This record gives sequence, structure tokens and C-alpha cells, in this order.
Amino acid sequence: MIATRLSYPLTVDGVTWRVRDAPLTASLLTVLREQLGITSVKDACEQGRCGSCSVLLDGTLVTACTVLAADASECRVTTVAGLPADGPADAVRRAFAEAGAVQCGFCAPGFVVAVTDLLTRRPSAGEEEIRTGLAGNICRCTGYGRILAAIRAAAAAGATAVAGEVAAGEVAAGEAAR
Amino acid sequence: MSGGDGFVRPTTVAQAARALRARPGAVALGGGTDLVPAFRAGAPAPPLIVALRGVRELRVRGASADHLIVGAGVTYSELAAWPDAPGLAMAARAVGSAQIRNAGTVGGAIGTASPRGDLLTYLVAAGADVLAADGARRWREPLVDRLAARGPAAAPAAARGPAGAGPVLVTAVVLPRPAGPGVYLKLGARQAAAPPVLGCGLVVDSAAGRVSVAVGGVAAVPVRAPDACRFAADQIDWSRPDVPPDTPTRFGELVAAAVAAAPDPLATPPGGPPAPYLRHAAGVLAGRALAHCLAEAGGSP
Repeated sequence: MIATRLSYPLTVDGVTWRVRDAPLTASLLTVLREQLGITSVKDACEQGRCGSCSVLLDGTLVTACTVLAADASECRVTTVAGLPADGPADAVRRAFAEAGAVQCGFCAPGFVVAVTDLLTRRPSAGEEEIRTGLAGNICRCTGYGRILAAIRAAAAAGATAVAGEVAAGEVAAGEAAR
Repeated sequence: MSGGDGFVRPTTVAQAARALRARPGAVALGGGTDLVPAFRAGAPAPPLIVALRGVRELRVRGASADHLIVGAGVTYSELAAWPDAPGLAMAARAVGSAQIRNAGTVGGAIGTASPRGDLLTYLVAAGADVLAADGARRWREPLVDRLAARGPAAAPAAARGPAGAGPVLVTAVVLPRPAGPGVYLKLGARQAAAPPVLGCGLVVDSAAGRVSVAVGGVAAVPVRAPDACRFAADQIDWSRPDVPPDTPTRFGELVAAAVAAAPDPLATPPGGPPAPYLRHAAGVLAGRALAHCLAEAGGSP
């Protein structure tokens, strides 16, 4: 007897779901959308080439369409909705809205996850690193100009926040020394 | 080992190898970057998927004075940031997107054995061996022998079955640590969106006075060009190292000849580049790779 359907727990954005009778070969993308109804993770190429389904798996950026759902059952899955309310994620969300970096919006959730991952790891990423790092995310409206503007703004906001924290720390240290 | 019928999650190499051996048709799952899209494209469900994510032994990598060892579970991203292996890192950076490099593994590249695989081409050029296990024993063999043992492979990977098919579990690759540069160059469309049309790995070992090259994307397995490598090694003044100015061009011509003579050539896809173009381009790419390596080694051109 060969099992072709499986049941397992899956933790998404801090909530542990019980996936029931999912096909053995189902991708994480399929289970997120079709079993759990989490449609912010977009379904486009299903070959890992467009980045629309970008999520974090135990904090690592991946495409959900190339992850076997059953293999993710002992991992933490983070979608755009589960990103932190503050820090780089907040700066990225604000920058996308303020720069108008959304046309049809289909690619936006994947971009926000990928950009947040990039700026969390590389807060001072330069232009080339940004372009290289996000090569796996495609905007089919070709709205890259405003997306890049948003990323630069988010990076600058992060740098300003860090500078503010350093300055506050220096003031506190100075006061402690007095 | 956790899991159940149809899907298991071993924590040791022995468990993984035994699981693969116990169920004919079982497949090993690395990052899933080839296997999961293959399922979506219609590849049949195997009787058992052996997920290797939890096997810590497969995540090990290390460098000695003369060798590098890379576990099958090491990802492209991890290789890309490895200062001990700049050529290997360059090949790993050439793979797909950040998302794919974060998930795809060395073992997956070998299991899938895509004729256009960036890392596979570089590993063949570098003369890699594989460490393998089948549940009863462990052994070491040349990567090219492992690829040949998979049988006629002229068909695309998806048609041969999913990644890792077969009872043999590749646990690591071992490759010489050359005293000289290694390079991987490729031709193709947008890296993140499509596999390369052509890839060329080249390694120069100044201490051994040796050049090694492999070309991917032209035959079922990456093509080596021993005549071209002997020619280049004879032309190089290893004390500098330096070559006559026309050496990279002649080297490229010999590589193109090796490509033309390779068994199991890949069929040209509809609208794809014709074979004569591919042979010419392979020679140009190989010539550039040699020039690049010699320049990096401090010689000319």
C-alpha cells in the first residue's frame, strides 16, 4: 500500500495548522493556498523563477512552489502577513506604499518578503547588490523603477533608524559617564 | 527517524540510505528545487520520499591543504559564501535566484544531473569524486562514473525520473584544492529565470601544471576536453604563468572539437541555438575562461 496523501502539522505565521490528506507531492505553495486559504502567497510560474510565492522557511528566503509541503512541516513558514510589525519589514511596507511600487499588486507580497530578507541581512546593500539579490522576483507590469525607489527609501530609513539608535546610545553612554 | 508511509525524515545517513534501499523507486529529497516542479509537471508520485533536511552529516563542509569536502546537503548559498573555494563559490553564485540558491543543494545537483547544471559542470571540471552510500556500504567514486551509472541520460532530467532516483545516496563530494584559480562562465537568458544555454568550468592548478575544463549544456553529461587541456598545459610557462597570445583561441578550438565529438549530444530544442553555434560558443567561452584564469594567476593575457 503506497500512501499518496498525508496529514501533518504546518506552522505558518506563528499559527500551527493541521493539514489533512494533502497529496504526497504537493508543494508548500499549493497547500498554503488551496488547503489553508493563504492567498497572499501568489501562484504564478510554479518553477521557482518568478518569486511571487516567496516566503521565509525557518527565516530563509525560498520560493514556496519549490518546497515540498510535507518537508516544511517541522519548519516555521513566514508569509508577508507574518513579517514583524516593526524594523525592516515595516520600513519596506511603508516605502512600497509611499513610492507607489505597486501596479497590479500581484508580485508585491513576494517582493516585500524578499526585500525585507535582503535588508535584514544587508541593511546597507548597494544598487548592484539590490538588483542581484532581487533577480528572482519578477514584476510583470515592469514597474521596477518605483520598486527600486522604494527599496532605496527603505534602506535609507533603516540607516536613519540605526544612526538614531547609535546617537541615542552615545548620549546615554555620555550621560552614564558623567 | 520521523514520518510515515510515503514520507520519512531520517536523521542519519544510515537511516536515509536504508530507507532508499528498502523501497524500490524511493527518491531522496534535498531542497526540492528540481523535484517539486517536476511533480507539478506530471512526474508520478514515488512510493516513498526520503527527506534529507534533518540529516546533519550532509551539511558538513571542510577544507584541508589539498582537498575540499562538501556535504550533499550544503546549499548553493552556503557554497557561494565560502572563501576556501572561490571557483566553487563562483559556480554556486551562477545558479538561479537567491531563493533557489538558499534551497538547492549539492546532492540535488548530482541527483538531478541536469545536463545544464551549473554546479555539476564545475564539479566535473574540478575532477570531483562523490562519497556514496546504499544502506550496506559506503564508497568513493569519480563523479563522472556516478553520472554514467545513472544510465543513458540523453533525455531531460524530468524524463529520467525525479531527483535522487535510485537506491544510491550521494553523501558528499570531494575535490582537489587546486593551487590556482577556478572559474565558471555561462551563456544564456536571465540567470534567475532560465537554465544556461552553455556553461564552462575551468580549473588551473599551477602546482601540478594542469588545466581542467568541462562544458555543460551540449551533451548528456558535461564534456571534458583532455586534448585541449594537454595543449594548454604545454603552452603555459608555469613559472609565471604565461602563454603565447593565441593560446586561449586555439584552446577554445580544441574544446569545440571535443564538444563536436561528445557522445549523447543534447537535441536542439525548437527555436534553440543550433549545434554549430553551440560548438563555436563553447570554444569561445572556454578560451575566455582560460584567459580569465591566467590573468587571475598573474600571467597573461
